[in-house]
Amino acid sequence: MTDLVLIIIFLNGLLIFFTSIKFGRYLFFSSGIMHLIMTIALILNSQNIYFNSYLKCTYEGLVILSIISFLFLCIIFYSISYLKEIQLSNERIFTGSMVLFLSAMTLVSLSDNIILIWVAIEATTLSSAPLIFIHKSKKSLEATWKYILICSVGIALALLGSFFVVLSMDIKGINCPLTYTDFSNIANLLDKKLLKAAFIFILVGYGTKMGLAPMHTWLPDAHSEAPGPASALLSGALLNCAFLAIYKTNKILILAGLGNFSNKLLIIFGIISIFIAATFALKQSDYKRLLAYSSIENMGIIAFGTGVGGLAAYGAILHLIHHSLIKSSLFLTSQNYLFAYGSKLIDKVGNGIKLMPKSSILFIAGFFGISGFPPFGIFLSEFLIIMGTLKQGLYSVAIIFIMLLIIVFAGFAKYFIRIIFNNYDGNIKIPENFQRLLPQYILLAVSIILTFFTFDFINSYISNIQIYSEVLHG
Amino acid sequence: MSNLILTLTVLMVLFCLGSSRLLSIIYLIAFQGFLVSVLPFFINDKITISVILFILVTLLIKSFLIPIFLYFVMKRITIKREIEPIIGYNGSVFLGLIIIIISIFIGNKFNFHINHHNTFLFPAGITTLTSGIFLIIARKKAITQVIGYLMMENGIYLLGLILSNHNLNIIEFGILLDLLVGVMLMGIVLHNINKTFDDIDTTLLKSLRDL
Amino acid sequence: MKSLILFLTLIVLAPLFSAIMLKIKAFFAGKKGIPLLINYYTLIKLIQKTSVYSISTSQIFQVGYLITLATTLTSLLFLPFSGLPPLLSFNGDIIFVLYLMSLGKFFTLISAMDTGSSFEGLGASREAFFSFLAESAFFMVIISFFWFDEKLSIASYFMANNKINVWNNYNFPLPLVGISLFLILLTENSRVPIDDPATHLELTMIHEVMILDHSGPALAFIYINSYLKLLFFSSFLTLLLFPRFGLDNKWNIASFYITLICIYISIGITESIMARFKLNKVPKFLVITFSLATFATIIIMGFAR
Repeated sequence: MTDLVLIIIFLNGLLIFFTSIKFGRYLFFSSGIMHLIMTIALILNSQNIYFNSYLKCTYEGLVILSIISFLFLCIIFYSISYLKEIQLSNERIFTGSMVLFLSAMTLVSLSDNIILIWVAIEATTLSSAPLIFIHKSKKSLEATWKYILICSVGIALALLGSFFVVLSMDIKGINCPLTYTDFSNIANLLDKKLLKAAFIFILVGYGTKMGLAPMHTWLPDAHSEAPGPASALLSGALLNCAFLAIYKTNKILILAGLGNFSNKLLIIFGIISIFIAATFALKQSDYKRLLAYSSIENMGIIAFGTGVGGLAAYGAILHLIHHSLIKSSLFLTSQNYLFAYGSKLIDKVGNGIKLMPKSSILFIAGFFGISGFPPFGIFLSEFLIIMGTLKQGLYSVAIIFIMLLIIVFAGFAKYFIRIIFNNYDGNIKIPENFQRLLPQYILLAVSIILTFFTFDFINSYISNIQIYSEVLHG
Repeated sequence: MSNLILTLTVLMVLFCLGSSRLLSIIYLIAFQGFLVSVLPFFINDKITISVILFILVTLLIKSFLIPIFLYFVMKRITIKREIEPIIGYNGSVFLGLIIIIISIFIGNKFNFHINHHNTFLFPAGITTLTSGIFLIIARKKAITQVIGYLMMENGIYLLGLILSNHNLNIIEFGILLDLLVGVMLMGIVLHNINKTFDDIDTTLLKSLRDL
Repeated sequence: MKSLILFLTLIVLAPLFSAIMLKIKAFFAGKKGIPLLINYYTLIKLIQKTSVYSISTSQIFQVGYLITLATTLTSLLFLPFSGLPPLLSFNGDIIFVLYLMSLGKFFTLISAMDTGSSFEGLGASREAFFSFLAESAFFMVIISFFWFDEKLSIASYFMANNKINVWNNYNFPLPLVGISLFLILLTENSRVPIDDPATHLELTMIHEVMILDHSGPALAFIYINSYLKLLFFSSFLTLLLFPRFGLDNKWNIASFYITLICIYISIGITESIMARFKLNKVPKFLVITFSLATFATIIIMGFAR
């Protein structure tokens, strides 16, 4: 019955649009807390689901669900101070859309039905579009238009792909519920040709949402125009949801004996994404866009790791967790800079270490984290992915991968150093405060803790996913 | 009968590709929505209450709510015509014909015969889908792009009809709802674009880019 | 025998049918209109005159209109009116007929050029361009017919035992072929909205401008030619459209006549409710015609066999 909480959260979101702003805020906060409780309850008892023909708690789903839940709580905490400073004229749209967005993402992480997951992912697009649109400036209009159009069109292709998966069952005269679980059971009976076509469409479709190049073009615009908390949620949670759908379909293909085909595609798309991100990260004028390209890079790494399989797939899941934590902390910190300097341009920002010492420390720490330095988890995950790649004998791919990572690091280092140490005369507008720093500290701290300490339940989850991968990849 | 409906659907695609008046494209897409949504009557083997209900809701959304909404959006916009399409009308129509030929080839290659023997369903779906994408790419006005998206959804709907009768209805309502909300959101953004830029030309949206 | 009688009556009645069209236009304009036999009066009047030829013209000008008339008459021999066997028929005759029509058109064009008038040259170039586009559409129609019947003979397409007809319900793309044939008819016979036969403003004219130098009997023959050409296209369309009542049924002839008159009426209605296109819109119109025919052909090729 735990999943019924989802309906309450969804209704909360709708209710916010019709109540006073103050009550809306309470609803906003309470949804986050309710969501956390729901997640914990689901982790403790994953069988307790009412709509069990549509929803199911899978290990990978629960990992993503707990990321969403935790991130949302941190973002709520940040939003308290954020909403005070920014004085939105249409605050209901912000809080309401955030809650609707949360419920849509939760539905993605729980849904087992192949069509329902499409409905949920499209719902995430629709509920997050108002967040990007919130300032109603020319640029945000442009970003919203691109976001809605590109993502809707892309996801429509994924629907076609899902139909093809169903068709590959129909054509063989099998009739079973359209769930990932059932498909996994009968995977080797499905029609191979159609399944391949289906995977291409699904990869392109959900890949658009996940930010895989060359379908990534909406991502830098949307992430840079959305308000800080929203971009943190977009980057940290939404991209994972799209990845989940690809991951589940990939599993069906591997079970159907088409693993070579799907994994090769994932590797190719992963490498292209990292390459595109590396190219564009070298020349950027906007620090939020820079972070957005970093998201594209990391999504590429995750797709790559999943495609390589084995140890690398384990690394990919680890990477997903740590990327969410670190990237959302970076996006929240970048909002502090935006408050202080009033500009997203790197040239108009500088001397962070003197003017905003705490945010700058967070920024540097986040930068080291995202670039793969110890003690942050991304070091571990990238290490595992490279090890996995070498183990599979893909030496040339591994070399390209490492080189691209170095280029990305170079690009980021150039701009981060400029932001923090460049000369800047003039004062900052809105100083940093404790409420807008604590969530980032917590996020980074969690990343470190997860690297050094092993928690049984998390490890068992990841290794459960890994068992899948290892069995599948042999 | 189903063949006639499909032929008309594809014909609407060609008309949309060749038409420059934005208002007439809205009428065309409304008619196409109508054709597409009544099609299950003619190809489903058994018509149950839930099928009828689903057809009615599809009809309501695809051929009434969305076109009427777009019509009101159009009323507030001063631009009535696509002035300079990226690919001209005659060229678009010829391309549409080529798309039809290619999709028939693809259809012959896949050869679906599942629960009914309408071989035209698959090519018609592919044609509508591809032409929708083509409209999005080849036209500059935002409203034509929305219509391209709608056409694409119609194509996917046609392809979805190939599936045998799974009990999908609740989820298909979800798909429809997503479509409706999506188009409404696009309409709102479009209205704001018109207010801010005094035009709905998407080539004006170029301030955000790299390199 | 039946075919011969039908053929002769139709040829004799052709000017009358055209007059029906004029009557419809008058009705839409709210006028009483000219008498139904007006075309016969005009022809008689013209034939009684003597021929005047411009001194700048050559022999070609004097035979051109005759050849045109002859080609049109010959092509009419191949049509199986009302599903009865035609007077002439062989495999491949449809191509023959098409080229006969082109030959006629060629002589119209060349006599127009022969006068050395720049106006007529203008008309000739426009006519050549538009009929080139219309012809490609007509070829598409023929390709679609070929896919039904695998023969290149008008008789085998339309004769009662082997029918390409709209009323056979499996032929669902045929209405589209009908529409594009109607549009081809409008183009080939210089009707509104492609060309306005009533206009005398040289800059917009296409067909009328080419016959400016003809007078007397020559003009009469050109008029007869235009009635017969319209008859050819309308009958072709009628053969596709008219409802049949089984083999050798006398009602077939009645329904053929009624459909034929309906087509003339619909041309009249089209002319009344539509304005002439701007000249630069005409190619677009023809492209639409061509695409319709192509679309129908594709669908027939893909599915309708």
